[in-house]
Amino acid sequence: MKDYILETQALSYTYADGTRALKEITLGIKRGQTTAVLGGNGAGKSTLFLNFNGILKPSSGQVLFKEKPLDYSRKGLKELRRKVGIVFQDPDSQLFSANVYQDISFGAVNMKLPEREIRRRVDAAMERTRITHLKNKATHSLSFGQKKRVAIAGVLVMEPAVLVLDEPTAGLDPMGVSEIMKLLQETQKELGLSVVISTHEIDIVPLYCDFAYVMDQGEIILGGTPKEVFSEREAIRSVHLRLPRIGHLMEILTKKDDFAFAETAMTISEARTVLNGWKNERTTL
Amino acid sequence: MINIDKYAYASKLHQKNSIEKIAFAFITLCVCLWANSILPSLVILLVMTWVSVRKGGIPLPFFLKLLLLPMSFLILGVLMIAFQISNDPQQFVLSVPVFGTFLGFSKAGMETAVRLFFRALGAVSCLYYLSLNTPMVDLLSALRKLKCPKLLVELMSLIYRFIFILTETTETMVTAQNSRLGYSGLKAGYHSLGALAATLFIRAYKRSDQIYTAMEARGYDGDIIVLEEAVPYSWKGFLPAVLLNAFLIVSVLLARQYLGGLL
Repeated sequence: MKDYILETQALSYTYADGTRALKEITLGIKRGQTTAVLGGNGAGKSTLFLNFNGILKPSSGQVLFKEKPLDYSRKGLKELRRKVGIVFQDPDSQLFSANVYQDISFGAVNMKLPEREIRRRVDAAMERTRITHLKNKATHSLSFGQKKRVAIAGVLVMEPAVLVLDEPTAGLDPMGVSEIMKLLQETQKELGLSVVISTHEIDIVPLYCDFAYVMDQGEIILGGTPKEVFSEREAIRSVHLRLPRIGHLMEILTKKDDFAFAETAMTISEARTVLNGWKNERTTL
Repeated sequence: MINIDKYAYASKLHQKNSIEKIAFAFITLCVCLWANSILPSLVILLVMTWVSVRKGGIPLPFFLKLLLLPMSFLILGVLMIAFQISNDPQQFVLSVPVFGTFLGFSKAGMETAVRLFFRALGAVSCLYYLSLNTPMVDLLSALRKLKCPKLLVELMSLIYRFIFILTETTETMVTAQNSRLGYSGLKAGYHSLGALAATLFIRAYKRSDQIYTAMEARGYDGDIIVLEEAVPYSWKGFLPAVLLNAFLIVSVLLARQYLGGLL
């Protein structure tokens, strides 16, 4: 479809040891939106992401970028990887240089850009991820959250069209989680990026994501806006996930305490609207 | 080693251009080896200590402790040189008869030994000055600028980065083993150590795989090239190196000419 920047069609992937990690996955990542891929451990999220930028080649089916099937030639892959940037889960597996500035520059240098342009991009990426003060630091002296930001900056310098993040919130404290998510949201809006994240941090999905897919054992079982996805309560729970806390509260209030709400709510602000609506309705009665 | 790294980043000289520092350390090192006499070696030892402690802000006790590090090798090696075997006990200052020959210290042998001792110490102090005041990253970029083979520099930089991850992983695993009484007895200790080594190897292997994937995702194609922040350097920065060594060379030559050599 036209508004999909990245698509998979009946994508299957089988590892060398025979594990079928992905089974006939068909999905689309919408341009200029944030898409979440939800799933328990071992659902196949990371494998899916590695197929997105050609690190893994599908066993069958195909991946489309801007409606064109991926070109797995050396040149095609290089082209693709600068457009689809991946931030890996463990920053220690991504940061190879001992110096922050040098590590961030790596992707841009590989694009053979002129030096001035590289420096501009590195500075911009550091500013965006708010790590300018760390530029001369040694990588090993950074905290986990700081390393995560450096990893993101290292991908942003390539100015990709799609930013794919594997578990961007894993291992961060609550403050760190909301900071990273706000940063991503801001980046996505200002640069017009398409963002894909995998997570099992349920509560951030309705807050920061426009669209969500739910994966289980290598298959997509649900897809839709966060509200649509989380209204499939049984399906969500059957794959080791849960509703957002607020959604759960609203469900219990409706089911057990006989509240009659006009709508469900998944975030605090939605719940406020619904509850206020409920209150107003009562007062007019 | 990790302490050295910390001091290198904390050093007041760390912002200085690293090529200037390399020049200072290596030219002095060469002069120290060339002069091969006690006084210049002592001067170099003192200058390097003074620069590191006063200019760089390295704590003196730490610097002295580092100097003690090669001591055991040095003393053993030097003793071997001082020791000589001869049939003639006259040439020894101190000797013991062993199976018809004599083992002992001669004056010449002792002089060589003492000279060697200070020469080695002076040379080591040059290297300590460099490593305590230059973060590894700067050293590597200087090596790159000096056209050191690419493969070597890349390997050095990767090793440097992953030493920290390796030690971190090891520490965590040893703590975990300890908290399950892994090192409570000799047998358990050996067993745990073996398991640790095996697991570390597998971890390291997996990690290298992940790193490679991540680098590929950022367009890696065989060469690790990164952009460095430019540190300005001036000819003035080389002045200390030139002055100190000119002084040393001239005084050594003069002493050889007129005094028949320094100590």
